Amino acid sequence: MTHAVKKPHQRWALTGLAALSLLGSAACAASPTPSPGAGGGAGGDAANAAEPTSGAGGEAGYTDGMFSATGSYQTPGGEESIGVTVTLESGIVSDVQTEPMPSNGTTELYQGKFSSGIREQIVGTPLDDLSVDKVSGSSLTSGGFRTAIEQIKTEAAQ
Amino acid sequence: MSPAGWSGQFSFDAIGTSWRIDTPGELPPEIRDDVEDVIRDYDAVYSRFRSDSRIAVLASGGGEVNLPPSGEALGTLYRTLHRLTRGGMSPLVGGPLEHLGYDAGYSFTPQGPPMPAAAWDESFQWLGTTIRSRRPVTLDVGAAGKGQLVDLVSEYLHRAGHPHHTVDAGGDMRHCGPDTLRIALEHPYAPDTAIGVVDLRDRALCASASNRRRWADGLHHVLDATTGHCVDTVVATWVLADDALVADALATALFLAPPEVLLTEFDFDYVRISSEGQALYSSSLAGALF
Repeated sequence: MTHAVKKPHQRWALTGLAALSLLGSAACAASPTPSPGAGGGAGGDAANAAEPTSGAGGEAGYTDGMFSATGSYQTPGGEESIGVTVTLESGIVSDVQTEPMPSNGTTELYQGKFSSGIREQIVGTPLDDLSVDKVSGSSLTSGGFRTAIEQIKTEAAQ
Repeated sequence: MSPAGWSGQFSFDAIGTSWRIDTPGELPPEIRDDVEDVIRDYDAVYSRFRSDSRIAVLASGGGEVNLPPSGEALGTLYRTLHRLTRGGMSPLVGGPLEHLGYDAGYSFTPQGPPMPAAAWDESFQWLGTTIRSRRPVTLDVGAAGKGQLVDLVSEYLHRAGHPHHTVDAGGDMRHCGPDTLRIALEHPYAPDTAIGVVDLRDRALCASASNRRRWADGLHHVLDATTGHCVDTVVATWVLADDALVADALATALFLAPPEVLLTEFDFDYVRISSEGQALYSSSLAGALF
């Protein structure tokens, strides 16, 4: 059942992914603890952290910066690669970018489809500063629901 | 806030949300009436908030209900997502929602601890445009119904000779036309800000969020049907897909299954915000977030 010859490549890719999730969980575990000297504590807005922490790494012991690696794996159409770039800020993964490197059409389709990114903390920009046609989000949905809730609040206050 | 060069704008309230249809020119009154009829007809079939809706008979003792032609696609999609979410997403979630207080009378008073939805087993069948249930069930198609209604309105406008339009039902929208729209993604915790901007052209964009429609003790309307508990690990999702039915349903499914699982059977782009403020997004939207 097993195809031992192909395994090393697959294992490489799997190890790469496992390392990423380890980084993620280490960062999560560390974040509630305020790091020494960091004013707002480690739970703050990582994406908004303007100054790089000089001590870097934080409790997790990782050095801040961008790290790239390429993983390869076997497909029925031959060996394929995908690049992964991880950005660490204060020991926390603040960004993950994947770069598809397909060498055939089928792989291109699948890598494009499953390639994704992570932003550790969302950042808001005032709507007034944006030139957009429409807004999509929760405050616009279900007027009936909100009307009913408001009514209940009013009744409850009487 | 309207697409460049389009002067037609038709706004109205229906099924508890604000609708807005943009077109290159004004829609004639009879077309507007027909649009409202499309929505009224749909609501008359599926609303669980109306005792006279067609599905209401299922709640009072089970039985058989015949749906309009669009019911087949709705049932097929629910069945697929029920499987991919391991039962987490189900049209039978109406029972647990009522139980938690999101009922026809908007009581918002939980009747007890969360309870799972009725299982989608052999006692409940949704085949083609026919639903049969051997026991009383409260159907809730809220996870996909609004999207399908957006599609039905869009299809009606095509048939009526208005192929270029944006149909927007409270932020769930479908665009058909030559010009790309820029859509801000509203910050789930700061509604006067946006977390990014996506381009929309000849596609649908639907959003789902758990943090605004809340009542007692932080209860909200996105439930895991297998437990009846509110899903609290995800706060907001957006999905771009070819039609609004799929986009709307996947926006809810992303609360209940990882994107990779849904991507095995659907083509879509997404942004998913966790309760910790982390954003997961498809690579083609890498430039969309700030």
